[in-house]
Amino acid sequence: MIELKHIEKTYRRGVETVRALRGVNLTINAGELMAIVGPSGAGKTTLLHILGCLDQPTNGDVLFDGVNTAGMPESQLVKIRREKIGFVFQQFYLIPGLSVFDNIALPLLFSKKPAQRKKIEQLAEMVGLEHRLNHAPAQLSGGEMQRTAIARGLVNDPAILLADEPTGNLDTENSEKIYAILRRLSNEGLTTIMITHNPELAARAERTVKIRDGLICP
Amino acid sequence: MTSYLKLAAKNILRHRTRSLLTMLGIAASVGVLFAVLSFNKGFTEGLAVELERTGLHFMIVPSGCAHEVAALVLHGAVIPKFLDTGVMEHVEGTAGIDLATPILVAQLPDQQRGKIDLIYGIEMNVLEAIKPGWEITGTIPRHEHEVLLGYEVAQHDNLQPGDHFSSPAAGVDLIVAGIVGYSGSQDDAFVYLPIQTAQNLLGYPQSATAIGVKVDDPTRIGAITESLTSTVPGIQIVTMGEVMNSVSNLAAAARALSLAIVLIAILISAVGVMNSILMAVFERTQEIGMMRAVGASRWDIFRIILNETTILALVGGVVGIVLSTLGARLIEAFVRSVMPFVPSGDLIRFDPIVALGSVAFIFVIGLCAGIYPAVKASKINPVEAIKG
Ligand SMILES: Nc1ncnc2c1ncn2[C@@H]1O[C@H](COP(=O)(O)OP(=O)(O)O)[C@@H](O)[C@H]1O
Ligand SMILES: [Mg+2]
Repeated sequence: MIELKHIEKTYRRGVETVRALRGVNLTINAGELMAIVGPSGAGKTTLLHILGCLDQPTNGDVLFDGVNTAGMPESQLVKIRREKIGFVFQQFYLIPGLSVFDNIALPLLFSKKPAQRKKIEQLAEMVGLEHRLNHAPAQLSGGEMQRTAIARGLVNDPAILLADEPTGNLDTENSEKIYAILRRLSNEGLTTIMITHNPELAARAERTVKIRDGLICP
Repeated sequence: MTSYLKLAAKNILRHRTRSLLTMLGIAASVGVLFAVLSFNKGFTEGLAVELERTGLHFMIVPSGCAHEVAALVLHGAVIPKFLDTGVMEHVEGTAGIDLATPILVAQLPDQQRGKIDLIYGIEMNVLEAIKPGWEITGTIPRHEHEVLLGYEVAQHDNLQPGDHFSSPAAGVDLIVAGIVGYSGSQDDAFVYLPIQTAQNLLGYPQSATAIGVKVDDPTRIGAITESLTSTVPGIQIVTMGEVMNSVSNLAAAARALSLAIVLIAILISAVGVMNSILMAVFERTQEIGMMRAVGASRWDIFRIILNETTILALVGGVVGIVLSTLGARLIEAFVRSVMPFVPSGDLIRFDPIVALGSVAFIFVIGLCAGIYPAVKASKINPVEAIKG
């Protein structure tokens, strides 16, 4: 479904050049649950952002269902993000002034789709927040915030869900809940990629990809 | 349901105090802008009505006294020169003149009371026409031995209607017919007398400080004034149009100055808005990065931030106009105390066009102030904003 071919990414930090990715080859199959692991600074987030069409590789091709997104203008990338990608972050990034309902519905505003109450209620139910729809994010626990963020990531019916350390700020119990949700989504056919520092969760994924110094370890 | 407007409004509400203060800055400057714009309209209209009401077309004054005419018509002024006795006869004998009404304004020292009375002699019906806004306790004088007192004069001598007004001119006994209510203007300082009484009192029968003239046919004003100036020596003629012009020029100058100040105030509050929104943008960098990741384009971000500024500007503008309308009487009282020649009646009238114009103006200013923060926000690099 997604094919990364010799992806390189270099950042400029002053005079210094940082090679965050140094020739990553990776094929992601539809419907799989993949865990990406590796030490801090290895390039995991960079890889995820390139997969999610949020960032562009310095070199290499990103074939999304056969279409190369490397070098596409931002105006086209944003369309792909709206139609095919769901993002989940370690820090949740919910908007404090909006209710859980409106936070889940937020991406619909950008994809110019009407917010159907039914759909958002279903998503909330799926992540176990149907009773929290009118609450403000400040009234939620960390686990509930992350589940809201997952529902938000799903509202545009993406083909792939990209989660960057989704359990990084959560305790074991809440991490388990998040993992269970991702697992279920993947079982239902959603391609799910999760960066994690939690070896237990990584071990349970269908596939684990290890990154070190900008390269995939064999 | 979520919309760009709702999102922007919610963002504004996140920092209530900061937004409120910014909004009040806008409200204050728009309120003053609205007041200044409405004021000018009310002022010129009020002035036109007032001059119209005198029913006079032009004033004849001793030559060299043209500048005092506006003051004379609107609130009385002492002109140290008198028109010759012959002028009145001359004027009355001129063809095409419907009415000539003398006005006699003079100082009358009163040694006994140790003060100077300011005498204003005029036909009482003309006075009524010139001063429709006066609230008179008692009546306007109907007989030649009656007098109307300005508020301060009555206060000073503790006089009520029906009391005797002692005059140093021996043998003249005047009865107070009425007292003019407090105006805060020069009106308060005068003693108003029927013209004949004033002329007799001052010992200048037939003479006048000025003669107000009404002609039969207003289109012939030019011809009549020309013939008068050429035949009667020592006079100058000022038409009501000229009075209107000179007073409204004065008002226009005052307005230009106030407008300049108001515009600076608006500029300052716009900078305040820009600063406030810019702070909000920087604080929300990560959130903006998230929105980009979940499908917001640069343009979407631009719109959200621009909406925040325009909401602040619009709400501020509307609040400002409401406050200004509610406080109109206060502003008027202030203006009356600092401006000469202020016509009576409402100076500030709520005009929906002016209100809409002011709001539209601040809307545009808000848009301009919002562009920079909105561009900044739209240029935030999502990858850097959400370092995972
Ligand atoms: N915007 C950036 N500018 C400069 N260097 C960056 C930037 N983003 C990431 N890096 C560098 O790239 C490397 C990989 O970063 P990242 O992908 O965030 O690693 P990980 O997510 O595995 O911890 C790190 O050395 C990081 O410092
Ligand atoms: Mg990372």
